[in-house]
Amino acid sequence: MSTVLEQIELEIAKLSNKGIKKNTGIIRTIADGVAKIDGLSDVMYNEMVQFPGGAIGIALNLEEDEVGCVILGDIANLKEGDEVTTTGRLLSVPVGKGLLGRTVDALGNPVDGKGPVEVKEYYPVERIAPGVVVRKSVSQALFTGIMAIDSMIPIGRGQRELIIGDRGTGKTTITIDTIINQAKINKVGLASGDPKFRPVYSIYVAVGQKNSNIVRTLSALEAAGALEFTIVVAAPAADNPANLYIAPYAGAAMGEWFMENDMDALIVYDDLSKHAVAYRQISLILKRPSGREAYPGDVFYLHSRLLERAARLEGKGSLTALPVIETLAGDVSAYISTNVISITDGQIFLETDLFNQGIRPAVSVGLSVSRVGSAAQIKATKQVGGKLKGELAQFRELAAFAQFGSDLDARTKAQLERGNRIVELFKQPAFSPQPIELQVAVLFAMQKGFFEPIEIRKVVDAANSLKSFFTTRKEALLAEVRTKAALDKELEAKLQAACEEWKVSFAP
Amino acid sequence: MAAHAKAAQQLARQLFRMSVVDGTVSAERIAGVLAFLEKNRPPNPVVVLKAYRRLVAAEIARGVAAVEHAGAVDEAMLGAIAAAMSRRYGRPVAATATPNAALLAGLRVRVGDDVYESSIAGQLAALASAV
Repeated sequence: MSTVLEQIELEIAKLSNKGIKKNTGIIRTIADGVAKIDGLSDVMYNEMVQFPGGAIGIALNLEEDEVGCVILGDIANLKEGDEVTTTGRLLSVPVGKGLLGRTVDALGNPVDGKGPVEVKEYYPVERIAPGVVVRKSVSQALFTGIMAIDSMIPIGRGQRELIIGDRGTGKTTITIDTIINQAKINKVGLASGDPKFRPVYSIYVAVGQKNSNIVRTLSALEAAGALEFTIVVAAPAADNPANLYIAPYAGAAMGEWFMENDMDALIVYDDLSKHAVAYRQISLILKRPSGREAYPGDVFYLHSRLLERAARLEGKGSLTALPVIETLAGDVSAYISTNVISITDGQIFLETDLFNQGIRPAVSVGLSVSRVGSAAQIKATKQVGGKLKGELAQFRELAAFAQFGSDLDARTKAQLERGNRIVELFKQPAFSPQPIELQVAVLFAMQKGFFEPIEIRKVVDAANSLKSFFTTRKEALLAEVRTKAALDKELEAKLQAACEEWKVSFAP
Repeated sequence: MAAHAKAAQQLARQLFRMSVVDGTVSAERIAGVLAFLEKNRPPNPVVVLKAYRRLVAAEIARGVAAVEHAGAVDEAMLGAIAAAMSRRYGRPVAATATPNAALLAGLRVRVGDDVYESSIAGQLAALASAV
């Protein structure tokens, strides 16, 4: 018996002798979520430091005799003189499919009351973006379900497309529509059993938004059945600036897991203007030198290192990024806007005037561009909508001139009429993305002049009628368009016949 | 204001560098620095002196292994700790002992801002944070 006790005592002795080395520091000052710390001589840049009471900080400023840390979490109980210790770890967040359908904070902790998240892996929040060797050019489409975007400003998997516009112009709606559309495509693709089908998982990062807006977004995703394919990273306006600063990087780490594991993911940063403001606040408290509009000098790097993490990798998956920027009075030449415009592969500009005129989504065709171009479009869309952007641009120019006089020649009048019809056709209600095959069918009908005899104010009704005709009575034809992804003569003839059939049934 | 504080920090660092001889702070030099400051008051004497004090205190702490212990620690053990720390930091480190019943059992050694924890209280705290 005594041998057994000796063994236990030996084990206790072994444990008791196990020394742990910690590097410590003392809080000298603390204000607005930022602490200045004496000591911490071994701390690494971006290392997590442990504060009393479970709060975690990130060492951002390593100075000669003090360390500046942003604190993530509750700072109410921290005070001057408290001891802080290094952890030897860089800030990491949980990653994996266990996060799908969940709402987490900037550190990956669940905030939706659905219990703990089941994850096995953690990824560092800050990572170096993939280099040029491992990248592959963007050539596979990512359908937003918004006809104006898919036909004129196509987005590809691995692309970074900025969504920019004033407040209340439908920026978030476009991103939610895109997420809903991915879920719809995933459901169809997974049900088809096609082994080549690659689902797109979505990550929605809400930075500095009102909690009520986040709840509304969650409800929209849940109602559309898209939440099961989506991770929501919430850093609402009430969070401290450190959480707002870290949230997009945490979301990017979660997206990278999908990309690294041969899957495709879409990430929405809503929005990076508030992210820049949070970073400015941190930088000013850390007493970093400020530059234009009081932003620190590295505000470009703040967003470039984030957006460069979106890529399509050779032999692996992809991460597509949709950053959102809010402009003031339509000024796209502001500091943060121009920075992000120059980093991304194109932008979708939303105009307040168009929105107020009832043209929704309020996409400005002239200012919007996708630098990947038609490389990220399926052939069928190129066939039916290849010239649309040019036609609409011409229409806008003509419409501007037409305001000054009423004597227009027949050709100009016809062009204006056609332009107006296209504009009507592109009107689409929120949270109702259209499958690409249906978009092809509608654009085909438009190109073949089926909407010409219809009054402009009735074009939306006609388009809805055509969509419902195709979805209810021509499902097989839509499936054929989807699988072939290109219009051959036979398919064109079938679409023509179907449109003729609809024309007879439609009474304007 | 910020510029003044920065200048005070710089002066404190300069004075501190002058106070170090062969890697350790010299009492004579510190006395000299204080006498100099007495005669030539800088713009923010309190700020300079506080910053200077902090730098000197940190340097002194780097040369002392402050051993907190629950239970008996003999001179031989303190000597062994001092020798081990001197080897580790490549500079002479003296050991001082302070009893601390809150550790329950074991030792905690602090050298500068490094803490070597080998106590039951430390292990319980680690366990509590892991649960």
